[in-house]
Amino acid sequence: MTQGLRVQNLTKYYGDYKALDDVSFAIEGGQFVTLLGPSGCGKTTLLRVIAGFLECDQGEVYFGDKLINDVPPNKRDAAMCFQSYALFPNKNVYENIRFGLRMRKVPPEEHKERVEEAMAMVNLTGLGERRPYELSGGQQQRVALARCIVVRPQLLLFDEPLSNLDAKLREKVRVEIREVQKKLGITAIYVTHDQAEALAISDQVITMSAGCIIQNAPPRDIYDRPNSRFVADFVGTANIVPCRILERTGMEYLVQSPYGELRAVDADCDLPAGAEGYLCIRPEDLLPSGKGESSNQICGAVRTAVYMGNLLDMFVDIGTEQIRASIAKDWNVTEGEAICFRVAPDKVRILGG
Amino acid sequence: MKKKKFEWGYLLLLPGLGFVALFLGAAIVMMALQSVGFLNFTGESSFSMEYWKGLFQVNFYDNLIYSLKIAVCASLICIAIVYPLSLIVKNMPWSKTWLSLLKIPMFIPALVVCLIITNVLNYNGILNAVLGGLGLIQEPLVLRNDPWGVGALATQVWKNVPFMLLIVYSSVESVRKDVLDAGRNLGAGRLRLFWEITLPLTMPSALVAVIMTFIKIFNDYTISRVMGPIYPSTLSNLMHKQAYLYNDWHTAACIGCLMMVTAVIFVSLYTWLGNRLAKQLS
Repeated sequence: MTQGLRVQNLTKYYGDYKALDDVSFAIEGGQFVTLLGPSGCGKTTLLRVIAGFLECDQGEVYFGDKLINDVPPNKRDAAMCFQSYALFPNKNVYENIRFGLRMRKVPPEEHKERVEEAMAMVNLTGLGERRPYELSGGQQQRVALARCIVVRPQLLLFDEPLSNLDAKLREKVRVEIREVQKKLGITAIYVTHDQAEALAISDQVITMSAGCIIQNAPPRDIYDRPNSRFVADFVGTANIVPCRILERTGMEYLVQSPYGELRAVDADCDLPAGAEGYLCIRPEDLLPSGKGESSNQICGAVRTAVYMGNLLDMFVDIGTEQIRASIAKDWNVTEGEAICFRVAPDKVRILGG
Repeated sequence: MKKKKFEWGYLLLLPGLGFVALFLGAAIVMMALQSVGFLNFTGESSFSMEYWKGLFQVNFYDNLIYSLKIAVCASLICIAIVYPLSLIVKNMPWSKTWLSLLKIPMFIPALVVCLIITNVLNYNGILNAVLGGLGLIQEPLVLRNDPWGVGALATQVWKNVPFMLLIVYSSVESVRKDVLDAGRNLGAGRLRLFWEITLPLTMPSALVAVIMTFIKIFNDYTISRVMGPIYPSTLSNLMHKQAYLYNDWHTAACIGCLMMVTAVIFVSLYTWLGNRLAKQLS
């Protein structure tokens, strides 16, 4: 297992613009961590500071126990997969992959075996003589991955490596990346703005906005227990409306919202009775039910219902508000039809302002 | 069988092709004919190889060697200066402004350049004054019209570096940053990055720059006339002397033909060497 990484109070300015604002986190050795956030949130800047391509204005980056702020990129034991693949156009696949071994002065007699092993690991066997321009996008990304893993780095960095691939291929290469990382036990940091990708591939997701870390948690917690409106809204789809807490008993709440009075069970909320907050319900947590058949119901009239193949995506008018629900595809609903949903209290999340 | 229809569109090529045929093709053919005794302006025109044999008497080889020496040395010195300069300028703030300033010598006429360099290299010039002042030399060095061609070489380099920079810089600048970052990330230092990535990727442009500079310097008249040694001089000077001083247009035509052939041989040699190097580096 490789070493972990620790980032402390990292701050980076581009002129007057603060790209990273006091960022701190730690990654255990062998973990796969994703930096997730919208464009311009600072995730690539953070990755480039870790790689050594950018200098930070404040803060420290530790690799294991070693401070690496002043270590140049070619001396850090990290390898990075770029969004554009960044293959060397003047070298064939074999030489592209071998490059790192030569630069890191690995004995030449080991080169062939290690390159072939890396090529086999990413299904590139037999393509050694090809030039990068003779490969498809997926193959190029695999070469980039093989070029990184062949040097057996302590840290693997991925800068949106799949964004240039089509949806099917993205899924396939994503699985391959995860398998290779697990097999080699290399600590990996993966940058993406694709929340589905982040949830699918990671041990830990670090959600960022405006240069700050908003939530650092495992994928399930990021999705089910978002700590802010930003995370709830950015990761997946969520119905978020203002609410007021009417009663609180331990972690059980009764809230007043545009969707009506609802009961919630939220262990993370620390708002007292009478406080204002936001109610968050995921569309798939709304289950159709007959009116009055169960408690914690939300009722309204169907505005639109779109058949998505695997589910029925609908918008329901509730007074002046709307709620989005994703229900089983077999339901037949017509526009204007009255409909009720029940929602389990532990699926209702209360977020602070 | 259907008869092939004449494509009238080809006539549109006539102005361009006609110009090339008339002013380039015809001129070359005329020079070749002159070199074997035809197209004599002053006397009878007839086939003769005498002018080619006579080349040995006009010290052709001394001048050829000098022309080649200056052209090869100057073009290699230029490229050795231009690569680091391109990399430095590329990574500097205000790089476009610096590049514009560095291009200035290209627009200065050759005679003015000679005057500027003369002020530096002359017997009483700045360089001798500085070296003398520092006690490094006892008496001033002869650096202009010197037998080694130092003055001509320095002037050629001064004049041609901006021209080469224009070609090489755009190529160096086009090497993608992420490709260089990938190289650094995999353990390459700056020198290895240049040797392994930048140089092979920019080799075609560098080759064009070297070839064009070589031909420019090989065919130079003005700079070697003002800054170069009295003897030997460039082939252009020899050709001019034969034609205008001795009124021997046939020998001048022979020199002209050989200048073209030599240039073609050296261009082919540069290309072959460049391609070989690029192949080795990839």
